Amino acid sequence: MNQEPAIVGIGATPYYFRGESLPQTKHELIGKAVIAAADDAGLPITAIDGIAGYASGVIEPGQLTEMLGLPELNFAALIAAQGGGSAGVLDLAALAIQTGRAHTVLCLGACQQSTNRYGVTFANMAATPDNVWASAAGLQGPGQTMALLTRRHMHLYGTRREAFGEIVIASRQAASTRPTAIRRKPLSMDEYLAAPMLSDPLCRLDFCLETDGALAFIVTSAERARDLRQKPVHIAASAHGGARNWGRAFFWLNMPDEDFASTGSAHTARRLYAQAGITPQDIDVALLYDHFSPLVLMQLEDYGFCPRGEGGPFVESGAIRLGGSIPVNPHGGHLSEAYVIGMTHIREAVEQLRGTAINQIPNAKYALVSGGPAPIPLSGAILRSAA
Amino acid sequence: MTEISARRDLSTLEIPTDAWTKPFWDATAEGRLLLPQCGACHTFRWPPGPFCPACRSQHTQWQPAGQGLIYSFTIIRAKDQPPTVPALIEFPEAGNIRLIAAIVDTSLDAIVIGAKVKQNWAKAGDTNVPVFTI
Ligand SMILES: [Zn+2]
Repeated sequence: MNQEPAIVGIGATPYYFRGESLPQTKHELIGKAVIAAADDAGLPITAIDGIAGYASGVIEPGQLTEMLGLPELNFAALIAAQGGGSAGVLDLAALAIQTGRAHTVLCLGACQQSTNRYGVTFANMAATPDNVWASAAGLQGPGQTMALLTRRHMHLYGTRREAFGEIVIASRQAASTRPTAIRRKPLSMDEYLAAPMLSDPLCRLDFCLETDGALAFIVTSAERARDLRQKPVHIAASAHGGARNWGRAFFWLNMPDEDFASTGSAHTARRLYAQAGITPQDIDVALLYDHFSPLVLMQLEDYGFCPRGEGGPFVESGAIRLGGSIPVNPHGGHLSEAYVIGMTHIREAVEQLRGTAINQIPNAKYALVSGGPAPIPLSGAILRSAA
Repeated sequence: MTEISARRDLSTLEIPTDAWTKPFWDATAEGRLLLPQCGACHTFRWPPGPFCPACRSQHTQWQPAGQGLIYSFTIIRAKDQPPTVPALIEFPEAGNIRLIAAIVDTSLDAIVIGAKVKQNWAKAGDTNVPVFTI
């Protein structure tokens, strides 16, 4: 397939603690990331003729074409999801490249939480006939509903808080070597277990960072990628969608019992592995969306790295550390590096497969990137090194 | 000394309704907890909405919820405030529908998955929000 898509450029702003990106505007952050991505690819910014994003109220294709002087757009699409759609921007870009709709597609994500704090999403939303039960019950944000999933997992499978602690500690260890990371101080299990409970069984350290930043990626055909500056990273598989039994997830909370204590990602996982023609054992590094640490554990189950219900012992065995059987988030993830709604995970996957990552997995060939466990559409991608 | 889950004051809470959720709130105003069932194929659904997801019928009949059980819960701790406990209450006699509702006035030690709950109410505008005790 000579139209196989490849990522040829990455660009990012610095990552800022919430509010510290001001007085830059959100579109300024996005513009800086786009300029950096085009430069990384060795392409003029005016070569961009497509935009793929997700509908977090951030990406406005018309405004970007005006602001950056893009001569024309032949493709402009947003995934109808928030964090769930993050890896799905690659699916949109792949579609545009494979069909020839566009030749150079910009994938984008950004957040500036000084203007919109996602952790209190529900509190910011007007009560509707559909969601009033949640506000009446005192649920204020996604973390509190994730706590409901998490407690169910603990009840069904005996999962321990120590497993969530290991996920946070591993992410902090990875972040300790990274200048871009916001939380770099090593963490002990005693410190984790002593952290204040916010929404029991989730403590403060199970919640991801609140940060500002923007990232951009340039996708073109693998054929064209051969002549560009960087070693291309192929999009071997990409998908967005989901099964009815997941639905609106934590806005619904009536998922059938067999799906409740999960991330809804098994459906995405099956499609990705089939498309790439590989199995979980072939994945060298997993970039799993870690807005809340227990959801990393449940994604490991849904993506087939361990059987359903065994995520706790699997994580506690050290499997997700650098050097473990499936290193997870060697960039420190949302928990320790920065939270830009899944985009830093795509960046790390590209750097791992270029061989330029700070915490490099030796000879990494396949990287899995997941979108957030959130309402449908969920998303994911498997990237492959060109070597 | 064991902690007790708090009861939030909902008296000023506005309950927005539509044609499909209004029967729920009309019933709670009278102190009855009813849940929606398809009039054609008898599948329960949640939240109340215009179609049965199993057969797409719009015929809806409202049934008593029956005995509720704790399916899952979280204990929210905010600084200098007593804990609140949002929970999912499952109704086996109503197709295992799960209602999001608070467990109030209850010792935290008693709140466990699988526990039977008792119906209670919190006044909200001109209706009642279902809350539960043990
Ligand atoms: Zn029906």
